[in-house]
Amino acid sequence: MKKFLALILALCMVFALCACGGGGSAKPADGPFAPDGPVTLIVAYKAGSGTDGPARILAQYAEKYIGQTVVVENVDGGSGSIGWSQLAAADPDGMTIGVMNLPNFNSSIVKELGTYTTADFKAICNHVTETSIVIVRADDDRFPDLNTLVEYGKANDGQLKASTNGAQASNHIGAQAFAKSAGFHYIDIPQGGTADQLLSLRNKESDFTVVKLGDISGQESAYKVLGIFATERDARWPEVPTLGELGYYDQWLGASRAIVAPAGVSDEVIQFYEEALKKTMEDPEYIAAAASFDTNFLDHTATAALIEQQQSFAESLGDDFWNY
Amino acid sequence: MLETLGLMGAGFINALTPINLLMMAAGVALGIIIGCMPGLSAAMGVALMLPLTFTMKAETGLIVLGAIYCGAIFGGSISAILIHTPGTPASAATAIEGYQMTLQGKAGKALFTACYSSFWGGLLSCISLYFFAPLLAQLTLKFRSAEYFWLSIFGLTIIAGVSGKSIVKGLISGALGLLISTIGLDPVTGAKRVMFGQAYFAEGINTTCALIGLFSMSQVFILAEKKIKARAQATKFSDKMSLTRDERKMIRPTILRSWVIGNIIGLLPGAGAAIACFLGYNTSKSFSKHKEQFGKGSIEGVAGSEAANNAVTGGSLIPTLTLGIPGESVTAVLMGGLIIQGLAPGPELFGKYAPMTYTFFAGFVLVQFFMLGIGLLGCRGFAQISRLSDAILIPCVTVLCCVGSYAIHKNILDIVVMMTFGVLGYFMRKLDLNTAAVVLALILGPIGEKGLRNALKSSGGNPAILFSSVVSWVLIALCIVGILSPMFMSKLEKKAEKEATAGTAEDIEKLTEEDSV
Repeated sequence: MKKFLALILALCMVFALCACGGGGSAKPADGPFAPDGPVTLIVAYKAGSGTDGPARILAQYAEKYIGQTVVVENVDGGSGSIGWSQLAAADPDGMTIGVMNLPNFNSSIVKELGTYTTADFKAICNHVTETSIVIVRADDDRFPDLNTLVEYGKANDGQLKASTNGAQASNHIGAQAFAKSAGFHYIDIPQGGTADQLLSLRNKESDFTVVKLGDISGQESAYKVLGIFATERDARWPEVPTLGELGYYDQWLGASRAIVAPAGVSDEVIQFYEEALKKTMEDPEYIAAAASFDTNFLDHTATAALIEQQQSFAESLGDDFWNY
Repeated sequence: MLETLGLMGAGFINALTPINLLMMAAGVALGIIIGCMPGLSAAMGVALMLPLTFTMKAETGLIVLGAIYCGAIFGGSISAILIHTPGTPASAATAIEGYQMTLQGKAGKALFTACYSSFWGGLLSCISLYFFAPLLAQLTLKFRSAEYFWLSIFGLTIIAGVSGKSIVKGLISGALGLLISTIGLDPVTGAKRVMFGQAYFAEGINTTCALIGLFSMSQVFILAEKKIKARAQATKFSDKMSLTRDERKMIRPTILRSWVIGNIIGLLPGAGAAIACFLGYNTSKSFSKHKEQFGKGSIEGVAGSEAANNAVTGGSLIPTLTLGIPGESVTAVLMGGLIIQGLAPGPELFGKYAPMTYTFFAGFVLVQFFMLGIGLLGCRGFAQISRLSDAILIPCVTVLCCVGSYAIHKNILDIVVMMTFGVLGYFMRKLDLNTAAVVLALILGPIGEKGLRNALKSSGGNPAILFSSVVSWVLIALCIVGILSPMFMSKLEKKAEKEATAGTAEDIEKLTEEDSV
């Protein structure tokens, strides 16, 4: 009996080992590349996080075009840097690719959280692009539009409060860029994530906040979108002006999620995944499943340029940006 | 009203399809397995299952996810009770009394209590989900930074309750935990604090790692230190599992209190089941008529903790479904599932989509019954593990600890951290310090720090903001009661003890002296 129980216990542990194992071996291939085993997609955030969901949908529908199982591996910690370090160090055999969050990836380099640079990765394509927006509560009568918010902010300089998704995180950059260009000061209330950030607006601790379009998906009635950080208006929100139109920050600002591989992979690998993922993102079944976020395919050259552009943007955010 | 009742009834009829029932059973079973494996969390289970639910009907998909969630929260108690290894932080407080019961050969009873209270906690939390969701969502909006600060202080007052004999030693342990909780990126400025140049520490010490080390690994060291002997012969094993009528009656008020606590904590994004279980445990102790049993395997302690953490499940769905603000990663995934199905959280869920919503609720109610059934069926088998000799348990638990902490991030550093906390826990126990207080402080420290600093930031440094709302004052009052009541109670108890044992005290002293010789 005891031996039997010990066996059961041992089996449980084997199960646990299997659960965290995964990955597969691969041989270098000649000619056009095709993976010969399960492909690992590294996500640098927790299972269930905002990055994880869309990545899993992509992985699920990409299997048809990649011809292999795609295993999402969540390697979280260190504000994403643990996962990206692991991706940078992975075998460049095309069996491991990953999701790179812009601009969080760039911030991690600026903050010296990782030992990698942009040169340690090769871009495959872009997957998701989310544009930042300025929002207030739907029932906040003080601010019918962006200009009144700015006027209020100037008249009560340093009084308005804005929640962010963390100190110097993407939405803090947005709020800072907006306030700096509009010429008023505000108090930032850093929260742990986007959910807490929105809660801080809902419970009236904050007056306005900057989030991405997708963050309020399904909740549009609770908020008023005052402005969008883009160079032209969004087709789904034609009545929302761009910040640039009103004379404030006139560049695109937001977050992108690129699919990248370790720098050592061959061009064939990049070509293979670029093609497979392009087909995936054009698949009607994928499009139906991905309706809640903004899929935005860019080829590998455009994606590489985006990564570099985001890097120089992140590096340009010095003390004069944070303490203007 | 009648219409709503009709919808509720129809929900049950819709939920009772064979495929839904099958999915409930499978989800609960999977959840229990995930929950009792240290390192695998409810959030992981739900996230992994999410893609499979795309192809299901919306309500079936949600029911599966709900089943995994409930199962996992209960499952954590199994390993907590049997091998002092909480499968998730939500069962940390269960380990305190549950493991003591196992040592006395009452593992079956402890598991039964956990299952029974989880069932009631979960079931009762459905009441608030059904009838008070929009109302309770307003409470979520009452908690701002200052209130979160007071909530964490109130949570920390539990240290006095779990400290046992010496409050000073409890405070030392709590302070140590708070100190450790400052490791990582500063939540307000983003500055690096005590990170030893390792990006690994950016998000602080992982609570699950620390928990596994402090609770389980240190237990292994202590067991290993003793002369290894077959425990089955050392302790009597009682096959009696079910609770007597008196015992059920005894834990009834405990379950009710824990339901309220768990539900309120569930409403608050960021607080979570780990805090609820400690609060539930501590409250059961404060109100208990059998305080002497606490620390020595109290049924009420297990019930208080387990009812509270399962009551969180229904509570945490409320802000997710009504406000679209998920309190934790499990509900975040659930919300993702809703959105993918084309359903938006908010009033529409209770209007236009009410049939679907009430089917999901009905499924959530039925899931609780599956949890009770599967849990009770499994209890008898699981309980046998407590008969294993230490010679088998020690290597097995060691492997579980390592695999469990590695599974969190798949990072070898997690095992190093776990082992470090194991050694720390071992010495703490030798010095009679309190490992539960460290875990509590680790969980509450960051919430309190962020709350205090953000509150002061938003008021321009004026501390009056901490005292500016009714909720704050209620929490302050609870803090005062929390701090004073154990002191007051222990004085009363000592007095009673003195009177009762005045005559025999000397005899006992003599006896213990003889024993130690």
